[in-house]
Amino acid sequence: MIPELGRAAVLIGLAACSIGAVTGMWAGKTGRADAWNWTRYAAFVFAGAIAVAVGLMQAALIGHDYSVKYVAEVGSNETPLTFTIVSLWSSLDGSILLWALILALWAAAFAWKMKDEHPEHAPWALGTILTIGIFFTFLVSGIANPFERVPNPLENGPGPNPLLQNHILMIIHPPTLYLGYVGMTAPFGMACAALFSGNMSTAWARAIRRWMLVPWTCLTVGIILGGWWSYEVLGWGGYWAWDPVENASFMPWLTATAFIHSSMVMERKEHLKGWSITLVMASFLLTLLGTFMTRSGVFNSVHSFTQSPIGPVFLGFLGVCLVACVILLAARIDSLSPPTKKLEGPWSREVAFLGNNLLFTAFTFTVLLGTVYPLLNEVMTDVQISVGEPYFNRMSVPICLGILFLMGVGPALPWGRTEPGVLMQRLGVPTATALAIAIGGYAAGIREPLALMTFSLSGFAGAVTLRELTEPGRQRAQALGEPLPKALIHTWKTGHRRAGGYIVHLGVVFIAVAIAASSVYRSEAEMTIREGSTKSFMGYDITYTGTERLDEPHRWSRVARFDIQKNGSPLGQAEPRLNHYKKMNQAIGTPTVMSGLDEDLYLSLVQVDTEGKMASLSIVVEPLVWWLWFGGGVMLLGSIISGWPTRRRKDAA
Amino acid sequence: MNWRVLAGGAAISVPLVALLAAGFGRDPKLRSNALEGRPAPAFTLQTLDGEPFSLDEARGAPVVVNFWSTWCQPCKIEHPVLMSAAESYGPNGVHFVAVLYQDDASKARAFLNRAGSHWPTLEDPGGRTAIAYGVAGVPETFFIDKTGTIIRKVAGPVSQEIMVTTLEQML
Repeated sequence: MIPELGRAAVLIGLAACSIGAVTGMWAGKTGRADAWNWTRYAAFVFAGAIAVAVGLMQAALIGHDYSVKYVAEVGSNETPLTFTIVSLWSSLDGSILLWALILALWAAAFAWKMKDEHPEHAPWALGTILTIGIFFTFLVSGIANPFERVPNPLENGPGPNPLLQNHILMIIHPPTLYLGYVGMTAPFGMACAALFSGNMSTAWARAIRRWMLVPWTCLTVGIILGGWWSYEVLGWGGYWAWDPVENASFMPWLTATAFIHSSMVMERKEHLKGWSITLVMASFLLTLLGTFMTRSGVFNSVHSFTQSPIGPVFLGFLGVCLVACVILLAARIDSLSPPTKKLEGPWSREVAFLGNNLLFTAFTFTVLLGTVYPLLNEVMTDVQISVGEPYFNRMSVPICLGILFLMGVGPALPWGRTEPGVLMQRLGVPTATALAIAIGGYAAGIREPLALMTFSLSGFAGAVTLRELTEPGRQRAQALGEPLPKALIHTWKTGHRRAGGYIVHLGVVFIAVAIAASSVYRSEAEMTIREGSTKSFMGYDITYTGTERLDEPHRWSRVARFDIQKNGSPLGQAEPRLNHYKKMNQAIGTPTVMSGLDEDLYLSLVQVDTEGKMASLSIVVEPLVWWLWFGGGVMLLGSIISGWPTRRRKDAA
Repeated sequence: MNWRVLAGGAAISVPLVALLAAGFGRDPKLRSNALEGRPAPAFTLQTLDGEPFSLDEARGAPVVVNFWSTWCQPCKIEHPVLMSAAESYGPNGVHFVAVLYQDDASKARAFLNRAGSHWPTLEDPGGRTAIAYGVAGVPETFFIDKTGTIIRKVAGPVSQEIMVTTLEQML
């Protein structure tokens, strides 16, 4: 029954979505309230229908119903329940179903939240979101139909990709990333709405910023979780490798970040309107490009799914969206009211934002070029050659340092004109901090110019941020005679958008320091240890105590046990393992990571000889990795504070 | 209609879509097999110690050519597998050769001093040899039999199992 019911639910979703797309555009054009209501109901039905479809798919997966095509592809009787549930996004067709679900949920959330808000924009926007929805639901109902009935079902299946059933992060990383990816459709809808209606009021600017902030936060968390996943699973002690698919998630993040900053100029100074809209459109198009990269099989990557007929259809859709965006932008951009306020400079907040936008855009193009270059080269010369990590690192490090610098200078600059005295007063302490860190670091033996510059600029940006976070509270405390903590909390509450933004900046500072420290001061070694003997590396004594074979229904593992001591005191036992999954020739390792506040010890098992007497290990010691995940948490906290809905006061109509 | 925006948008989007479209029909996973069964491209390069090395010198014996770099983590994971294979199969006449890919000789020397090596590591200025072999990323390993034909290409780290079965097949 499930194949038919699932298909029916998807078709109902497709119908609702199509109706809503039409009525949404109609409501936008005519301003009719009934059409707007129909659009909202259509969005709810769309979400409900796809939710039912996903529920049915989960029922099929958990119930091992191999008459459903997708279950026959990724299910197996031996896979643990958690990973059975998660296998919804372990392969192509399921992940597109999840995509459709998240898009439908975003559409419903938009319909619910915007019921009485922004009547000029909301119908156009929801109409656009549902139009995008038609495409994804069409995929699920047609060429990527996961519910197809298998004529002669087998008793068991192959199980999901082993790499994806190796770690608990696989449960939350993909959905979070998808929330961010798919969520870019909502600000995209609002951007199109502004172009359709020719209205870009300050209220609209505030609304689109909020609709961008939520998916941006999800994307940020998703990317960091992805880095954490590869760190914990892939066994080489790294969290970022400029893999095409990592780049695919990073590019829309870059343009979305640029937008979050340019939107403030748009809101305050009514400048950069067309540019901000272009950034939103680019963010959305880049998510499509990213999806295309993972789903088409054109790019080779850890993440790529098998080749499928989806590729050309997806490329067609990407092309149509690109053309539509360019034409819409070209046709309507002149209808937007020109800026009324002049940009003042050169030392003003808005000029710093402009610099920030230039850097983020340059970064996006750099990553895009590096990602498609292998393909370009192959098409031209028939030989595929990778640009490799050196290209990305060489190009991105100066850009990142520039961004870090602007992150310090920007918040210190006032809007409009700046008096030289103000600049001195605001940048004095941060500059002193930066110099102190540079000199102190040099004295402490840090000789790598890159690390030194990053630490110093991070200190600069951190000091400015802390000052901006505390200054209003300090002034309030002084003026009103309030105790400082109370005054601080008051200013953070009233200015939560601003305070949250600065907390995000603090998170970025943590991450910058972590990346610089862990990549520059990383030490690694490969060693083979005989059972019972000890080898030392970077102050760690590693004793190989023995090995064991563990059997589980879906895999067997070779576990090697090591006693670890750090500078003579016991740290615990490490148990890196090699897992052998059924129907897979290659062994997949589970490294052991022992995290400390100062550094991580990372052990991955390379090989154990047949008698278990000798174990080969790859060992990495990386400082401050923990700061990376912590910084991600700080960024999440800051975005929640910043995006927290403000209660509207009744009297402020 | 703002023609500048239109032209700018077209200038970015048309080549991008055309490029992606051209990528179809090129399965990156199958691509690795294109060289299999073909004669191995010849090369003469210098080792890290400045000695010349030519693939022709190894003619008549099986050769394993490994492209790697120090910035590539999977290469380092693969290293012990190459070490043990070179230890066991080197005496049986299998030649092992490593080609450095987009990397500094000094970094490679430092790594090999720590991790050890039983084979010459060659510098590849301008990446010519890598291009001739169609290296799309590192590590990539080519197994060349006694007649000078590539019988297998492995993209990504070679597992112990694949290493042993392929070497047995070549001997």
